[in-house]
Amino acid sequence: MPKRDLTVAMVGAGGDGIVTMGDVLAQAAAREGLNVLKTEAYGPQIRGGESSCVVRLSADPIYESGDAIDVVVVFSWADFARFKGEVMPAKNTVVLSDEADPVARNPEDLGLGAEAVWIKLPFAKLSTDSGAKGSKNLVGLGVLTALFGLPLATLRRAIVHRFGRKKAAVGEGALKAFEAGHALGQTLPPMPERQLGYTPGPPKLLMSGNEATAIGALHAGCRYFAGYPITPSTEILQFLDEWLPKMGGAAVQTEDELSAIGAVLGASFAGQKAMTATSGPGLALMTEMLGLASMAELPCVIVDVQRGGPSTGLPTKSEQSDLWQALYGTHGDAPRVVIAPSDVEDCFHTTVDAFNIAEEFQIPVIVLSDQLVGQRRETLDPASLVHAVRERRLPTGEELTNYSRYKETPDGVSPMARPGTPGGIYQTNGLEHDESGRPASLHVLHERMNAKRYRKLRPIRDGYTFHRRYGPEDAEVGILCWGSSKGVVREAVRRANARGQKVAAFVPQVLYPFPKNEFETFLKGLKRILVIELSYSAQFYKYLRTFLDLPHERTHIFKRSGGKSLTLEEVDAEITALFEAERAGERVSA
Amino acid sequence: MSETVTLPEFKPADYKTDLKPVWCAGCGDFGALTGLYRALTELQVKPWETVVVSGIGCSSRLPGYVETYGFNGVHGRALTIAAGVKVSRPDLKVIAVGGDGDGLAIGGNHFMHAARRNLDIAYFMMDNEIYGLTKGQTAPTTPTGDKTKSTHYGNPEPAVDPCELAISFGATWVGRAFSGDLKGTVELMVKALSHRGFAFLNVMSPCVTWRGDDQFKTLKAKQRQLPEDHDPTSRPAALAYTREREFVTTGVLYEVAEPSFLDRLAAVKVTALAGMPAPTVADVIKTFQPSF
Repeated sequence: MPKRDLTVAMVGAGGDGIVTMGDVLAQAAAREGLNVLKTEAYGPQIRGGESSCVVRLSADPIYESGDAIDVVVVFSWADFARFKGEVMPAKNTVVLSDEADPVARNPEDLGLGAEAVWIKLPFAKLSTDSGAKGSKNLVGLGVLTALFGLPLATLRRAIVHRFGRKKAAVGEGALKAFEAGHALGQTLPPMPERQLGYTPGPPKLLMSGNEATAIGALHAGCRYFAGYPITPSTEILQFLDEWLPKMGGAAVQTEDELSAIGAVLGASFAGQKAMTATSGPGLALMTEMLGLASMAELPCVIVDVQRGGPSTGLPTKSEQSDLWQALYGTHGDAPRVVIAPSDVEDCFHTTVDAFNIAEEFQIPVIVLSDQLVGQRRETLDPASLVHAVRERRLPTGEELTNYSRYKETPDGVSPMARPGTPGGIYQTNGLEHDESGRPASLHVLHERMNAKRYRKLRPIRDGYTFHRRYGPEDAEVGILCWGSSKGVVREAVRRANARGQKVAAFVPQVLYPFPKNEFETFLKGLKRILVIELSYSAQFYKYLRTFLDLPHERTHIFKRSGGKSLTLEEVDAEITALFEAERAGERVSA
Repeated sequence: MSETVTLPEFKPADYKTDLKPVWCAGCGDFGALTGLYRALTELQVKPWETVVVSGIGCSSRLPGYVETYGFNGVHGRALTIAAGVKVSRPDLKVIAVGGDGDGLAIGGNHFMHAARRNLDIAYFMMDNEIYGLTKGQTAPTTPTGDKTKSTHYGNPEPAVDPCELAISFGATWVGRAFSGDLKGTVELMVKALSHRGFAFLNVMSPCVTWRGDDQFKTLKAKQRQLPEDHDPTSRPAALAYTREREFVTTGVLYEVAEPSFLDRLAAVKVTALAGMPAPTVADVIKTFQPSF
């Protein structure tokens, strides 16, 4: 029976074309209407150096990278060793390596079982013989196509499209390498049980989370972006720099993150929808002006694509440890909204929501993404990128007579005049101010204006609560997680229930204002609670404790540092351990 | 049939809010503020199409006293906010104001880059060579050896000349004024506000409280006008009037015509479009669909 799901890993040195190989495969699969999830990892080198790429293809929806690699193509064992623990073959993996590799490995080295298939192939030699020297990646792709029933005609078109755009001859050469690999693959023992089986469908979009974030901004009407390059968020700056000028907007690379947030607040004051994107260290620099946005009630969107921290930390790897910074960063009582995407499509929707909330409630909104969702590529249905857009409240003609910028209102939102409007003149301030915007420091007024600014959180909580719930209503174990952990947790919940363990999961999208009612509803009737996060100090668990009574003896935390994605194996093990503890009547301890 | 529309005529009082300045009696900033009212009047700038932006410090309170749109931000970041306003709304007139500490110490980096970009704003730096709001600490402009509340034994650091920095950073209009010379200040503010690109005006603005009466007297005694034959397009000629010890030379030190930041951004838009119609978001999304 053919497989509906295939996970391919590729590992090689700089120049082996790993990234291109993954790209071509993913593009072809998206063209066929398959679901794709692609992640990449690199060494610390600026250019070149070892890289690995994992592409999961499926006829069914997929939520995470998969725990079982069906096939791994290794061009260099020395480089494979550099991804220890990141590219993990399963017991029955098909391992295709280059016979010319000076480093020799055997199945036992990788801990493979007897069912594994170990094949050494002349990748480099075939590439040279085909006349397209340095194309062993395409030879490899050809072998994979023959062995696993990948779409031959579509891959051919994908290769010609990729290499033949500028010079037709380059495309032809590339195709020769691919055909040589394909011919070689056909001489190998067939593996009918490992063939990918699916019905082609309409083409899908293939994009990264950072690209989806940028598109969300464009869709929401953002026409001003200011940012400073920082891994792993830089793609957002680069993407908007390409498109905003074409759409009547502007993207500016500022001298630092202080300048980026300042410029965004200036643009917002001037009446434009504006955004910046950064990672943890950049958000740290922006926090003073995050307070200014809160105080002056300026709509703005700040995207934080989290990486490992503190300090420079792990710039290219994911972690969920900017949570407290996003929730609590800056001095004073500074209301803001924190919203977290959980996959690529979510990056689009959370960004549009972030603009909607920011503009409607004149409040800074942080989109707390991370490297895992920001830089991985996923297929999307084009119809999924639809989201209603809301606008800022401008003063009416009547409100412009004796205009008061910070006039008290029941929901705390005061109409915001756009410079250029006669009658709307006001001076805004980071100083505490009265309803007209004038500096004032009487404590009674400070209390009242704090109350006004915080009052906006309630309608946001009620109007924008969005969470995902997976698993049965009568679950015994309930998982609480956020952001990019969703994919693995969702799959783990599906598998647990399939084996008879009643597990559910709750994933909030808006983290602050806290969706207390929704959490409490979920927690009702649970025997055990499992909190899952990639933060060494358990920031999410501790945050939950400030709002929820999580009984100590029934709550278990799975937390660890980032640097490696959460795996199904880890979550599975936690779930199983909790059911065993429940059976044994043991207390678990948070 | 044509109709004659008479533009409203703005008087200095029309640019004045009814907020009373927090400044000490005799503060040089009063002169700068009055100068600004008059300069705006002279140019008949529409108050609602103007934005005055500042950071933190005594002089950064100024936007509150000007009846235009105003933004009193945080310390050192006036130019970043001004950049966001101007780039997103080229139709607005944007004026950044602040002190020497705000613009040269905490905000020094932004000064360099706003000047380098030739951002289309006027930047008026009220320079009193001291931190006034925090009550008398040393500034990057405080002369070496001066005793302040944070340099009890004499300032061990050399001072910078803001005009020298502005010229070297790439500002295309650089002038120096003395707020005690109202007529000269108005004249220079009008010129700065009429310049296309980054116009930097260093307004020497004495602090009677922390620098004493002497500062006013000394500035007045040292002030001299640029000679009539000064060539403002010459960088060496302009730099000759910076780091002066014996004099404070006022006037337009430097002025050159270069494409402004907005000019360059407009050119970027033309290059980006390459004669094609502006794409929609749907067009952008379509580029993510395999096209082979």
